[in-house]
Amino acid sequence: MTDNVSFPDAVQWAVPFFIAAILAEFLWIAVKGRGGRYETRDAVTSLIMGAGNIASGFLLGFIAYAFFMWLWQITPLNLGTSIPVIILCFVLDDFRYYWVHRFGHRIRWVWASHVNHHSSQHYNLTTALRQTWTYTFTFMMVVRAPLILLGFHPAMVLFVGGLNLIYQFWIHTEAIGKMPRWFEAVMNTPSHHRAHHGRNARYLDCNYAGVFIIWDKLFGTFVPEQDEDRVDYGLVHNIGTFNPLRVAFHEWVAIWRDATQPGLTWRERLAYCFAPPGYSHDGSRDNSVQIKAKHLVRHPEDRGTPGFEQFGTVPPNTRAERIRKL
Amino acid sequence: MPLEILLVLVVGGLAGITLLLHLTGRSRRRRMTPDEARSEWIRHFPDDEIIDVTLANDGHSALVRTGVGAGLLWSLGADTVARHLLDFDWIEHPVGFEVQFHEFGTPRAIIRLDETERRHWQHLMDPE
Repeated sequence: MTDNVSFPDAVQWAVPFFIAAILAEFLWIAVKGRGGRYETRDAVTSLIMGAGNIASGFLLGFIAYAFFMWLWQITPLNLGTSIPVIILCFVLDDFRYYWVHRFGHRIRWVWASHVNHHSSQHYNLTTALRQTWTYTFTFMMVVRAPLILLGFHPAMVLFVGGLNLIYQFWIHTEAIGKMPRWFEAVMNTPSHHRAHHGRNARYLDCNYAGVFIIWDKLFGTFVPEQDEDRVDYGLVHNIGTFNPLRVAFHEWVAIWRDATQPGLTWRERLAYCFAPPGYSHDGSRDNSVQIKAKHLVRHPEDRGTPGFEQFGTVPPNTRAERIRKL
Repeated sequence: MPLEILLVLVVGGLAGITLLLHLTGRSRRRRMTPDEARSEWIRHFPDDEIIDVTLANDGHSALVRTGVGAGLLWSLGADTVARHLLDFDWIEHPVGFEVQFHEFGTPRAIIRLDETERRHWQHLMDPE
């Protein structure tokens, strides 16, 4: 099936808006004295990662596109390019984004690509641009295959994916508190996404949404930002470098070192590549579930609160015991 | 968008934002007090029990002794990074010490110390 469908590269056209919005956010923070922090080298690293992401798209984008065009050749379906089809494609692609993002946090091979986006201890509009250079190597483009096989043209799928990324730009800010209640209920917002960037035990592995937060609510991964648990941005083990090459590749190098240790079984080597981040064959590291469990040992009062629901509610006598100890 | 225009926008935007941040004082490294060093360590390693904290005179780094061994906390821009001293080398550096971690994402930390501090830290890091 061949035809001449073309859509603009929305992300490239948004670059002037990105720059203007960063300047506006910086001025807002400077004038108001609140609403976020900026640090020179952190911001520069984020911007270089963003530029590198565009460059990697030029260099490696043909691999995904060739795969998509092959799928387009074999599918008998063609939904066309009408506005309702584009809207439907946007919604379904956001559903695709939710799962790719969730895999990005739960499969170390995909986390190796996504980790750099979380590697800043800051949360401002430059953090939004701290994007991966190595997405192609995760092979997550296969998650888009059903969309193309259903008859959505590859150019349209990439176009709505670009719109999705542009939407996510503005939510990387502390300058906006909460949006109106109806908006917070349906859409991904700065508040929801701040929680996603938290390294606090409560916020690990939550709020994977791109545009619509409803996916997290449907699949049980939604954690609302809590006023009494301020988000601490960054990684569980923050990296000690601003070097973009180290930021881009550090987790890939760590996988290589872990998986090639002498004396491991093949199962253990594969687990270092594909198990959730924090896996270790000797129990020397903690994954997110273990981090949450340890947090609850220190703070049993948090049991059953958002982000800790899987551990049940407060054990019956815990509160009484704590009061007695006081 | 034509590639030349995209390139000008990216390079110009990056240079402009860098200059703006630097000229408005956003390049300063964080200086810590002993209490801040303590709370920063707990932020990084909430399970640790701190025995004591030795803060460098410049306030940019601290040696933290904990129940599970010694660790290093240092400023990275406006924030901090911390590591337990488990897999590392330290070598003399003109301004103090260079601690090399065998970790691609955290290769090294330069610790600025005066002559008196240097001897004390040397003893704390390598009591042998």
